[in-house]
Amino acid sequence: MIVEDETTLQKTLAEFLAEDGFEVLCASDGEQAVALAKKGKPDLVLLDIILPKKDGYEVLTELKSEADTKNIPVILLTNLESPEDIDKAFEKGASTYLVKSNYKLEDIAKKVKETLKM
Amino acid sequence: MKIVNDLNFRKQAKELGISMWKTPSFLFLLMGIITIVAMASVYYVSNFYESPEVLVIAESVVVITIFSIGNSIILEVERIARLNKMKSEFVSVASHQLRTPLSAIRWETELLLTKFGKGLSEKQKSGIETINLLAIRMTRLVSDLLDVARIDQGRLILKKSCFDLEKIVQETVHSLIVVAKGKNTNIIFKNSGTPVIVVGDAEKLRLAIENLISNAIKYTDGKGKVEVSVRKKNGFVIFSSKDNGVGIPDEQQSQVFNKFFRSDNAVKYQTEGTGLGLYIAKNIIEQSGGNIWFQSKEGIGSIFSFSLPLCSPVKARHFTAKAGSKHKA
Repeated sequence: MIVEDETTLQKTLAEFLAEDGFEVLCASDGEQAVALAKKGKPDLVLLDIILPKKDGYEVLTELKSEADTKNIPVILLTNLESPEDIDKAFEKGASTYLVKSNYKLEDIAKKVKETLKM
Repeated sequence: MKIVNDLNFRKQAKELGISMWKTPSFLFLLMGIITIVAMASVYYVSNFYESPEVLVIAESVVVITIFSIGNSIILEVERIARLNKMKSEFVSVASHQLRTPLSAIRWETELLLTKFGKGLSEKQKSGIETINLLAIRMTRLVSDLLDVARIDQGRLILKKSCFDLEKIVQETVHSLIVVAKGKNTNIIFKNSGTPVIVVGDAEKLRLAIENLISNAIKYTDGKGKVEVSVRKKNGFVIFSSKDNGVGIPDEQQSQVFNKFFRSDNAVKYQTEGTGLGLYIAKNIIEQSGGNIWFQSKEGIGSIFSFSLPLCSPVKARHFTAKAGSKHKA
């Protein structure tokens, strides 16, 4: 599942992963993300931090506190890169932290596969 | 008169972008003159008039004048400081906002090339590749500007850990081989085979190393040779990158680490460059507890070196404990 409010980025990432054989769900804000994760039970969540309605940290906290969703690995995919943000993300249970502008789609797909041990 | 020359209001006004009579040094001088004149006149008044009322009034006038000039100096300095802060914040916000559209361009072109490239002619593909490469270059420039803004605001925070410097140097050299080949330049790095564990922010230092080696490649021309080495010395590790490139003119060597500085011969030789790489590298290395220096001779080449503290067993334990708790979470 991709949680990204910027539609162009969401669409490109979704298309790339779909081409790699993934079934992709998309959410554009924090509330939608939590609801969709509970309903769709994705194998993995790619989560932005700056999001409307609920930010990425809130989404992460909610996903990790619910029994059905707490085992879903979450990769944060954001343009924030301060050490505090990174520490906060890992404290809240993120599996990996990626800075968008440093990664190619191919590298992101690779990280997704690594996390899912594919 | 020398003091007045030293103060040079016109130059200061030009540098600060304000009118001459508003420059702090002019106002300060004015305050000084008024204080002296006021003292003299109070003395004069007290000699001629016995009445304390006149003295009190004269002194009040003096105090109020000095106070208001002092106040306007403080206001002006405050205004300049605030403008400077706004400038740094503007650079931060603008750079940050540029990243999303830049990521979109990079990802979109990558998607086109890797997944939907069927049916595209070689010419079309190479055009898209160029867009992709330029977007990567611009992303890099934006990151550099963000780093500079952070350094200026004192907000460049390093995430220190113990890591193998030799591995990072090896990876960086490897990633630059294609660029070097394009410039007919050889990079030589003798790997000792044993890890060289240092303390610092691995990702930021990777950036600094990349800046130094890519500078070495950029400023050599045909049959260039870049020798990279890593060695231990007195509790420190010393990294060096030696090239046979254009070098830096003697009279400009003191400015090498200044922000936006590019030497005259470098600009002539290679127009592409921002003059930010070495400024950022110096700040990253010094904040990591190291030093950076260079030797250079115009027309012969340059050696850029930096030192970093070796990782002691105590620090190593400290960092692994921290990293361990993170993975458990």
